[in-house]
Amino acid sequence: MKAFAYVNPTSEKEAVAALKTDGIAMVIGGGQDLLSRMKDYIDSPDRVVNVKGLDATVTATSDGGVKIGSAVKIVDLAEHAAVMSLYPSVAAAAIEVGTPQIRNQGTVGGNINQRPRCWYFRNEEFVCYKKGGSRCFAVNGENQYHAIFGNDGPSHIVHPSSLAVPFVAYGAKFRVLGPNGEREIAAADYFTMPTLANVLKENVLDDEDILTHVILPAPGNVKHGHYEVRYKQSHDWPLAFTTVVLVMNGVNGTSGANGTSGSTIRSARVVLGAVAPVPWRSRPAEDALAGKALNEATAALAGEAAISEAKPMSGNAYKIQIAKTAVKRAVMRAAGIKTV
Amino acid sequence: MIYGKIVRSPYPHAKVVSIDLSAAEKAPGVKATLAYMKAGDEVHYQGDPVAAVAADTEERARDAARLIRVRYEALPQVSSEAQGMQLIGPRWSTTQPNTRAGQRAETGDLDAGFKQAAHIVEQTYSTHIITHVCLETHGAVCEWDGDKLTAWVSTQGVHQCAQGYAQALGIPQTNVRVITQYMGGGFGSKFAPDSQGIICAKLAKAAGVPVKLMLDRKEEHLDTGNRPSAFAKIKAGVSSDGKLTAFDGTSWGTGGAGASSGFPLPYLYQFPNRKRVHTDVYINAGQQRAMRAPGHPQGCFLTEILMDELADRVKMDPVEFRIKNAPPLAPNAQWVKYFAEGAKRFGWDKRHATGDPTPGPIKTGMGVSAHLWGGAGRGSTAHVDIMSDGSVVVKCGTQDLGTGTRTLVAIVAAETFGLPVSGVKPEIGDTLYPFSGGSGGSTTAASVTPAIRVTSLNALDALFAKVAPTLGVTPDQLAAEGGRIFVKGNSSKGLSWKDACKLIGTEPISVDGKWEDGLSSSGTSGVQFAEVEVDIETGIVRIKRILAMQDCGLIVDKLTAESQAYGGVVAAINFALFEDRILDRVTGQMVNPNMEWYLLAGMSDIPKIDIVLNNMPERGVIGIGEPPTVSTASAIANAVRNATGATIRSLPLHPHKVLAAIEQERAGGTN
Repeated sequence: MKAFAYVNPTSEKEAVAALKTDGIAMVIGGGQDLLSRMKDYIDSPDRVVNVKGLDATVTATSDGGVKIGSAVKIVDLAEHAAVMSLYPSVAAAAIEVGTPQIRNQGTVGGNINQRPRCWYFRNEEFVCYKKGGSRCFAVNGENQYHAIFGNDGPSHIVHPSSLAVPFVAYGAKFRVLGPNGEREIAAADYFTMPTLANVLKENVLDDEDILTHVILPAPGNVKHGHYEVRYKQSHDWPLAFTTVVLVMNGVNGTSGANGTSGSTIRSARVVLGAVAPVPWRSRPAEDALAGKALNEATAALAGEAAISEAKPMSGNAYKIQIAKTAVKRAVMRAAGIKTV
Repeated sequence: MIYGKIVRSPYPHAKVVSIDLSAAEKAPGVKATLAYMKAGDEVHYQGDPVAAVAADTEERARDAARLIRVRYEALPQVSSEAQGMQLIGPRWSTTQPNTRAGQRAETGDLDAGFKQAAHIVEQTYSTHIITHVCLETHGAVCEWDGDKLTAWVSTQGVHQCAQGYAQALGIPQTNVRVITQYMGGGFGSKFAPDSQGIICAKLAKAAGVPVKLMLDRKEEHLDTGNRPSAFAKIKAGVSSDGKLTAFDGTSWGTGGAGASSGFPLPYLYQFPNRKRVHTDVYINAGQQRAMRAPGHPQGCFLTEILMDELADRVKMDPVEFRIKNAPPLAPNAQWVKYFAEGAKRFGWDKRHATGDPTPGPIKTGMGVSAHLWGGAGRGSTAHVDIMSDGSVVVKCGTQDLGTGTRTLVAIVAAETFGLPVSGVKPEIGDTLYPFSGGSGGSTTAASVTPAIRVTSLNALDALFAKVAPTLGVTPDQLAAEGGRIFVKGNSSKGLSWKDACKLIGTEPISVDGKWEDGLSSSGTSGVQFAEVEVDIETGIVRIKRILAMQDCGLIVDKLTAESQAYGGVVAAINFALFEDRILDRVTGQMVNPNMEWYLLAGMSDIPKIDIVLNNMPERGVIGIGEPPTVSTASAIANAVRNATGATIRSLPLHPHKVLAAIEQERAGGTN
């Protein structure tokens, strides 16, 4: 890899300042993404700015939510008591990331901001849109792991973050610090659908911005479900996964007969991962759930509704069936119904 | 020591226009550069070596390699078997044809065979290309002393490798020493120095210092071999009472750029009337190399899926059907026994007919499959020294690819001398030691252990001759056991090993010996059972358990023999479900030359594996490295068929294929 300068800031402000350079500066968290890209000559920054020393704590907020520092290790998020009880789907998504080694090294910020795992992007030979080229090789090529939603192009990646999906589903806000101060962005607005103008990035961060915190609001009277489908059980990227967060009518909806819930769904957030260039919020699935009793039939309807907008590529129509199953089973989990 | 790095063609097919080393020569730390190809040469696959550089650190070598400017004139490439077989279209080479006639065999009367058939199955079956994925990559450290070369190589054949170096470098083989003390895996791709070994030696010569050149994972996938693909359009007949009558197979496959793709077909079962015609197809991709039981996993899969389809036509249980059509019981043909015993152990009686009738998305199924292999021994030689202090060294120019060869050498010698294993020093993996062949074809155990036994007996005879006068007996009256030399039938009359060796004197006992017929044989059989769970709403296959029934003649060491069977089964699970060399259909470049998208099972993907070894001491030693990896994938695919009722006739069992087969079955059947 190209030789680079290493900067080890001790504060958020120093980190932002360190990103200002005539060359290319990049942020390093756990380093598992950036270093692989550097070794494979996908990226060759002149300066690498370490943000592992920034806030690595999970703290309670005054409104009953939590504030997660970007430098929190994925394993610590997965095993955090408040996260496990308030946002079980965040903990579930975290524990499904990679392997124990990866979860021990990887950070929350790194998981959210990692670059696509697309095999064209990751191989030097393929100069695609995301590397300044003028085509997406997946269109006429090997696209079995590419997007089935949001396929208007120009890029057909799937967003690689496991944590982004539950963060969007729980209505998280991301705190960003840049040269002009800090701002909070709704998680759903943080990720960007590709356009020719912004295809080199997957989110709204500018070159001198850092993501410092994820702020989760108090969950309220909700039921949660998370379901991930992987080809391999060990160390693999998901084929599709879903977080559903259901706001329930009544207080802690009492259970009815046959595993159905006594209360109805007031509103729903259904977010799918590994299926689109961004964490994919499915309005049709959310509409299908609103006002319904929480049971297996409703779960199946949500699955069907979720795939109504799917537009597969030449070799990935099979992922539609998998996405449908993931949504159905995530809703079943929220209902406390055994999935498989 | 400095580090070498190879520059490889990014194009699957191109003509080299020019190679400019000048920028790399001036790069920091660079000590040597070389052009491996020249202007006008044709590259035939992505990863074809073109030039190289050596620098004082690995990082500088990698950076400098990128400064070597190679200009190519890209040529149209052949990226698939189907493309290669087209009469019009791209050619893999500007001078050679895309296809060549391969194996051809015909026995019996095909027409008569099909007339006897009550049912005929006609389908196309296929297996894909996988690479060896040795965890220790291919590579070497080369050091010159004048015109003498010492090469530390990750190789399966030290002597073979030395011969390769001598030929490629134009020096006498006596000037080459190859050393492989330990290695991190060899599966058939590591016999020759290969381009990286020769480049390493040339860089070391040019730089005047030792060079280390180990390939990275991408280079491994592109340029160190693979298991060829296999396709066959098969028409097969079965009589109403379940006897196979006829087999007509047209097969093809690719071994990459100019390499063959043969495999046995039909496999194992007795088709009295059969015909098979094979075509090798060449494409612009890395060449195949021998890979753990070359040809057998392919031939086995193509035949065994067909066998279950035929069994269903005559409504016979797959085990019963196989027993009816397998070769008769013989020492090297234990299948009928393993089918029956294995079925009992596995709980085969609980298997349902094709298609799990239970409700819900998870379907369970069982499958069975069988295999054969040779594993014969051949002329290994060895040397034993016994010193007057009682220490013993056994030398054999074999190598241990991780199978436990070093352990076997020590075990056999120690048992012969009546010593603990720690009392013998096994020395292997060096061309300074007596000749032993390459570790391929599962031949090592059957070649090396007889040589060690014979040589150790020779040494023991020499020791007995020294000791006998002191004990007042003739040498033939002596025995060695429990760390003592004593008179047979009178064990108190003897000496400790140490005291006995004091009688050797200043000149140690130093004897040679070689492999002899009678201590080993050839021909193993195995049967494997698999149970799987298929999630029919996601297409994900999970393997619940595997049972492997296997023989390998006399088991020399149970632990290492079982370890070979476990490793073979695990490798075959990868072949069945995960591994796949994927070339971009437009550019012909590999999209997954890594271990992120070239999928390999992790702990959670590996089921309970039961190994049942049938010890057959009367047969002598036979190798076991390859056979256990042959039939696992077929048993798994047949179990998936039994679970879902849908037949998948190609590997790997990717969820997209599983879902498509289930869909097709619902729409009217995969039969």
